[in-house]
Amino acid sequence: MLRALTRRGLDARQAPPGTLVAFLAPALLIYAGFTVYPVLRTFYNSVHTVRPHGVLEYVGLRNFAELVRVDPVFWKAVGNTAIFAIAGTTADVVGGLLLALSLFSRPPFAKFLRVVWFTPVLMSYVVVGIIWVWIYDFDWGFANLVLRWLHLGALTRSWLGDPSTALASVLVTHIWKWLGFNMIIFLAALYALPGEVLGAAELDNCSGVAKLVHIIVPMLRPTIVNLLVLSFIGKMMIFDLVWVMTGGGPLWSTETVSTYVYKRAFDWNTFDLGYPSAIAVLWFGIIIAFVVVMTRLLRPRDRLEF
Amino acid sequence: MRMAFRLEPLRRTPLLVFLALYPAITGGPFLWAAMMSLRTTPEIFDSPYALPVHLHWEKFADAWANSNYHTYFWNSAVVVVTAVALLTVIGSMAAHCLARYRFRADRLVRLAILSGMLLPPQLLILSLFQVLLDYRLYNTLTGLIIVYVAGHLGMTVYILEGFFAQIPQDLFEAARVDGYSDFEIFWRIAAPIGLPAIFTTVTLNFIILWNEFLYAVVLLTEDAKRTLPLGIMHFMGSHQLDVGMVSTGLMIAITPIILLYAFFSEAMIKGMTAGAIR
Repeated sequence: MLRALTRRGLDARQAPPGTLVAFLAPALLIYAGFTVYPVLRTFYNSVHTVRPHGVLEYVGLRNFAELVRVDPVFWKAVGNTAIFAIAGTTADVVGGLLLALSLFSRPPFAKFLRVVWFTPVLMSYVVVGIIWVWIYDFDWGFANLVLRWLHLGALTRSWLGDPSTALASVLVTHIWKWLGFNMIIFLAALYALPGEVLGAAELDNCSGVAKLVHIIVPMLRPTIVNLLVLSFIGKMMIFDLVWVMTGGGPLWSTETVSTYVYKRAFDWNTFDLGYPSAIAVLWFGIIIAFVVVMTRLLRPRDRLEF
Repeated sequence: MRMAFRLEPLRRTPLLVFLALYPAITGGPFLWAAMMSLRTTPEIFDSPYALPVHLHWEKFADAWANSNYHTYFWNSAVVVVTAVALLTVIGSMAAHCLARYRFRADRLVRLAILSGMLLPPQLLILSLFQVLLDYRLYNTLTGLIIVYVAGHLGMTVYILEGFFAQIPQDLFEAARVDGYSDFEIFWRIAAPIGLPAIFTTVTLNFIILWNEFLYAVVLLTEDAKRTLPLGIMHFMGSHQLDVGMVSTGLMIAITPIILLYAFFSEAMIKGMTAGAIR
């Protein structure tokens, strides 16, 4: 026992290599085999034509060239995903902040409201998607029911079947699902604000809106940037909800980059995993570039002095 | 004393109206689905938003036994419980090791594992399809479990390591003096103290994996292997007009989540937002 102590020393920061390996090996092995290797293989596939049964043909950057130059569906998908990313991210962050502020004003039943508002975040896209397909149904959906009730029958339509409204309809559902998430994060950040600052603003007779614009928003800047980035990444990869609600249709009006990757790989009988891999690689690069630019641009410049 | 964000009483009225309405917007759709799950499809088409007159509980038995929902439910349960258990054990071992010990390449290992959080599934899914075919794990629950563990290790280690790193070092020095082995230090000190964080990751992983759709839809094809989200989609595809039965299926899928949420709402909110608040 004493010998063991002297050999290892009493420094609890050190451990013999065998121990380190025992602790880390399971994680590293699974990670190497089922994350690192597949990612590298996707990059490798993106410069090949990959036929079934492992038949590969090197094509260089031809997949990328075809994608960017002659693939109208890809560009349609990029456009739709961009609308999702911009409109969805903005709505998520602004809406989440407003919800959080309305709970921060300590209304009655605040605790109960918080729990109910968060419910959609816990539900799967499949469940949420199917319920909202019914809500948007032409004959008996709630959306049209309300319009008819308001004598606005002329505005009723098959929300998901009409190419001009399908994308917006799916977007509304997606925002509805995630607002509660953003609200909780903002609420936590609001409670962490130093109370004296808000109190001082109160004494200075600051109006609610002025307080929001000049004091609360600047102080929440790190949280806002964080949520913008998180929401943006989520919207750029949106797949499940679109797949459940519209499958990308009608007429590619809701096709996103992710649903297109899936279709090219598994739905269309093109029997080539190389081309969709090229889409995935290109899109990953674009997401990373945007995230870097966003964090650089939005990083707090000066720390607020209290 | 903390000052609340106060609005003048007059301006508060619209706020209160909104506060009263918004729960109906978030909870309403689920309540509607719950009502439909107890009504038959003819009743629903007769009047879609009416309350259930006769409670048709037998629809649950029917969906469970005759529409394969028992298979989907058990597949989901097996996959999620196994994956969460593995994630918890493997993730906390790795997180403890990274938080506690200094060794060569520790930064590299940490960076490698955490970078997994940033990889979009689309970058993985196409080649995972090939990899699982190569390893003969395609269309097996085992394959899906391993993919889930790999996919969520990053977030699990991220949350746990942050917590483990805050445990005072003195505790571990003392344990060393008392002759605890490295493994005993993990098992008898770090893990029990880290229990709240472990619980958070269990909640987060459980919810996300119970709802997971993309990996499952690519990696499973047989009906007997389908998890709940796939089963519901499949049932929806083949019984488009049987709204009543589809609702019953939806309720079977969300009941575990609703039950857990009713009892552990704070823990679940904390779990779902754990990666974003630090």
